[in-house]
Amino acid sequence: MSSENDRAGSRPTADATVRAAVAAIAARSEIAHRLELGATEAVLRSVVEAAVALFEAEAASIALHDPNRHVLVFSVAAGEQGEGVVGMEVRPDQGLVGYVFSTGQALAISDVASDVRFGRGFAQTTGYVPRSIVAVPLVDDAGTIGVLEVLDKRSESAFSLRDVELAGVFARQATVAIRASRVERDTATLIRTVISGLAGEDAAPGGVDALVAAALEGLGGDDDPLWPLVEQIAAVRRASPEQLELVTAILGVLARQAARTRGRRSAVERRVGFGGAASGQAGRGSE
Amino acid sequence: MTGQILPAWSEPFVGSGGDALLRLPPLPSIDRGWAMGGSDGTGVTVAIVDSGVEREHPAVGGKLIRSVKVEPGTTPEGDPVVSDDPEGLDVVGHGTACAGIIHAIAPGADLISVRVLGPDNRSKGIVFAAGLDWAIRQGVRVMNLSLSSRSDALFGLFHELADQAYFANVLMVCAANNVPGNSYPSLFASVVSVAAHDRPDPAVWFYNPHPPVEFGAYGVDVPVAWRAAGRTIATGNSFAAPHIAGYAARIRAKHRDATPFEIKAILAATATPPG
Repeated sequence: MSSENDRAGSRPTADATVRAAVAAIAARSEIAHRLELGATEAVLRSVVEAAVALFEAEAASIALHDPNRHVLVFSVAAGEQGEGVVGMEVRPDQGLVGYVFSTGQALAISDVASDVRFGRGFAQTTGYVPRSIVAVPLVDDAGTIGVLEVLDKRSESAFSLRDVELAGVFARQATVAIRASRVERDTATLIRTVISGLAGEDAAPGGVDALVAAALEGLGGDDDPLWPLVEQIAAVRRASPEQLELVTAILGVLARQAARTRGRRSAVERRVGFGGAASGQAGRGSE
Repeated sequence: MTGQILPAWSEPFVGSGGDALLRLPPLPSIDRGWAMGGSDGTGVTVAIVDSGVEREHPAVGGKLIRSVKVEPGTTPEGDPVVSDDPEGLDVVGHGTACAGIIHAIAPGADLISVRVLGPDNRSKGIVFAAGLDWAIRQGVRVMNLSLSSRSDALFGLFHELADQAYFANVLMVCAANNVPGNSYPSLFASVVSVAAHDRPDPAVWFYNPHPPVEFGAYGVDVPVAWRAAGRTIATGNSFAAPHIAGYAARIRAKHRDATPFEIKAILAATATPPG
């Protein structure tokens, strides 16, 4: 490193420039990640809540495939009888949900409880044994990524073929949300790839992790005052347009005040590298 | 050019080769009595490629003559492994439901279960394809596929298998997927693709002259066999396809020389009139 510095004099080396750029990207990605954290889940939850309302169902839930562990994990649920299922896992080659996942084939089953062993072990651990189920796959370009199931229509004893189709519409909504979050995950993967490329073949095991950690070092730990702000911004994203306008105006005032009183870039701006954009926003807001 | 060399594939249509063509009965004379009257499917073997079939289930009537399971290879590059499944298990109930429907319509037909549920996304399409390949090689005359693959990466492989089945005189009866999008082999021209109608009558099936889904059979609120000697009520194209598979088995038992294409034509000719 020192020999490179000698050659390049005071100018940063190409390697250092790339590292700085990657660090900035990693920082932005981490912030974007925190901003989105919960957003996908919020959309998925709204999908199952809408499904419960539309079908007048006792419960609805979405199980997503974890490709690393080959299990389907129930991520969100709605309805009075649904909550118990969140966090539970099923194997893709077992049970109705597993079948729908494995085959991509949507199904509706009723009179479930009359079959004493039909998924009953699982159903009982959730504290709820359904009478009827409609289960549809979540399908994106890469294949089936999960299953949406709706349990027990209150008004009727069974789900119709039309219900199967309607559930398919909900499943597509959920798939779009998941795909968006996957793009974000891909960015994180890309960053790791770039960093590991920079580390070169000589990188010791764990070296990439160390480089990622170094790139994110400037962001501080979980107790950094930046993160509550990021979380607040994430929450504000769900506000109405009028509320957003108000929040933007308030932030503009605060930003101008900060600029006057501190006379230097705030810690947040310096760490994040958002200073230019933030002050630009504030400047426009004041004109 | 000697004049004696025929273009490729044209032999059956030229000179004495034409004798092979004089078999197709005129469609208007076909009715269900001619097509399958007196036939219960005896002598025909139907493969059920699904979640397994519960051998002892009363709805299967003791007609399950063999059960195999297909599992992913032990290495990521390894071919799937087909092995006997002597217990005759159904890990879901779905395959038993299909077997029960087929047996109710064609009680004389023998049944073979090919269990193909892969444990993860990567293996399931390959496992399914290996199950089809195995079943085609067993000389079954009808295959019931109440499942399909959405993998575009496997389009070519499934297309090849559909052709392989067609040329080997195996009729593939496939449930159309309930949700839109690609699904193979159910969208291939050589297969009999089936969706559900809601008339509670197993003997009602419709022909749709607008492919890809050419047949509609009973698939809404169908009382079906389920695992653990159970029964349930099920809705889905999955349960429509085995109705057509059952009738196809009866036709095949009565008209031994008929080919998959002819069976499809007979099914179309004997379909319930619309309305």
